[in-house]
Amino acid sequence: MYSYKDRLYLASGYLSGLSIIIIMVVVLAQIVGRMIGYIVPSAEDISGYCLAASIFFGLAYTFRDGGHIRVTLLIQNLPPKARFVQEFIVLSIGLLAASFICWYSWYMVWESYMFEELTQGYIPMPLWAVQLPLGLGSTGFLLAMLDAMATMFRGGLPNYTHHEDQVPLEDL
Amino acid sequence: MDLIVISLVLVVFMLLMLALGVWVSLSLVSVGVLGLMLIDNGQIGLLFGTTSWGASTNWTLTALPMFIWMGEVLFRTRLAADLFEGLTPWLSRLPGKLLHVNVLSCGIFAAVSGSSAATAATIGRMTLPELKKAGYSDRMSIGTLAGSGTLGLLIPPSIILIVYGVAAEVSISRLFIAGALPGLLLVFLFMGYIIVWALLNKDQVPQKDTIDLSLAMKLKTLKKLLPILGLIGFVLGSIYGGFTTPTEAAALGVFGALLLAFFTGTLNLTTFSASLLGAVKSSCMIGLILVGAHFLTLAMGFLGIPRALAANIGNLDLTVFQLLAYLTLLFVILGCFLDGISVVVLTVSVVMPMIEQAGIDLLWFGIYIVLVVEMSQITPPVGFNLFVIQSLTGKNILYIARAALPFFLLILLALILIYIFPGIATYLPYSMAQR
Repeated sequence: MYSYKDRLYLASGYLSGLSIIIIMVVVLAQIVGRMIGYIVPSAEDISGYCLAASIFFGLAYTFRDGGHIRVTLLIQNLPPKARFVQEFIVLSIGLLAASFICWYSWYMVWESYMFEELTQGYIPMPLWAVQLPLGLGSTGFLLAMLDAMATMFRGGLPNYTHHEDQVPLEDL
Repeated sequence: MDLIVISLVLVVFMLLMLALGVWVSLSLVSVGVLGLMLIDNGQIGLLFGTTSWGASTNWTLTALPMFIWMGEVLFRTRLAADLFEGLTPWLSRLPGKLLHVNVLSCGIFAAVSGSSAATAATIGRMTLPELKKAGYSDRMSIGTLAGSGTLGLLIPPSIILIVYGVAAEVSISRLFIAGALPGLLLVFLFMGYIIVWALLNKDQVPQKDTIDLSLAMKLKTLKKLLPILGLIGFVLGSIYGGFTTPTEAAALGVFGALLLAFFTGTLNLTTFSASLLGAVKSSCMIGLILVGAHFLTLAMGFLGIPRALAANIGNLDLTVFQLLAYLTLLFVILGCFLDGISVVVLTVSVVMPMIEQAGIDLLWFGIYIVLVVEMSQITPPVGFNLFVIQSLTGKNILYIARAALPFFLLILLALILIYIFPGIATYLPYSMAQR
């Protein structure tokens, strides 16, 4: 069955999915509200925050499933040893980039918290709270990279490489 | 450092990262960081924070996961089968018969789904075995599917038009409406070609499968098409009429698609979560690319490369036609290695000032760039539609590319027509009601 790690990845995916569902509900509520003359406060802002949440929460799940696209044309036919080295370099660059994203996402959250900034919409909300998913999601992204790196240190190719040759839509 | 040197360093760095297999989104971020480091910008991380927050909370962009999810839901319904059964009796009199089903089903499915891979996969899964059973030539079945699968990019709702609209700051409602006529033009070109081909190659079209149904029966099969046509009319009509924003139309579309799946009995917990996770994967991937592209665009702005490029091109006194010809060449080369969305975000961050300087309508350019991307979808070595059809049929990718070649040329013809008659793209959007 699922290991605890698989569950974490799935949780990342479902958190992102939940944010997408919230967007749908909020936008539908806005449409219905307009028809009966009730304005859903801050509907556009809330769905925007949910979009950010869905993008960042889903990073880890998408990464592990090979969802983030890259050019595999030149690397797919490398001999196994060269392929391993290449994947190691790529993952190291990925780790650097993910650390950068993670660090400055948290920095942004921390700054919003320190200056007690509020969102600008109809309902003022603490900005750090709606920015929190960026910090959490990018941390998940970094952890997923570290997990892939750990796999490489055990001598295997990371999980994402197994899914990449598949066409995006499953069960063809 | 000199601007030319910086540009060269960045281009080489970008190509190196992409060739090595670094994820497109992270390559965009890294090139942005390097560019800002080269001009000693001290605020790189802060700039990234602000742009990623700004890019990912963009209200117009919320249409993206909605439309992706809608396609994922419909992909798991009986829609493809219904389209096949509903359309077949009506097309049996046209020369080429069932081949037209490929084109029209793709066209109709494209109007509810935003991606060309999804369109080709959903329709091909249904039609290819049926065409084979009826004895149609493999090559023509595959070619029509590859060609008309690309309609998913152009016929609204289209993921790539949302990406272009967000990146180039053009109204997505207008872009969607602008895609409608060129999409229809392509459908007619494809069907016209099939008719001519069928008349010239009578021996390759099976003659006996004509089932002439009475008009009453024909109308009965049409009923199968009603839900999907209703959904299309509803989503596109409300955008064109100015009743809803694209995001609202998309949310209604997802809701409608879920209802449709529910009433046809294909909605259960498994398909629901599978469609949701599928939507997560695509929208998360595109979302991160857009965050990276936004950051790169900002970095480019700081460096001044697009401005300098626009000024240099301005000095060259190129005609619009020459400029477009060079750009097309560039896009086709890029499209050989990158997917459509990456081509669009990469070029928009550099090329936009140049386009504006040349006095080219940004709306028209959006349709133009999508047509070029459509062509690149069916050219090897990297063409997503080719991959999809490869996994559907198990045929060699070069064989599929050869089968798709006539359709590549037809898209090129459409591109030329739209250059000569820009109104095909711009008439509807400039006459629509805007909310």
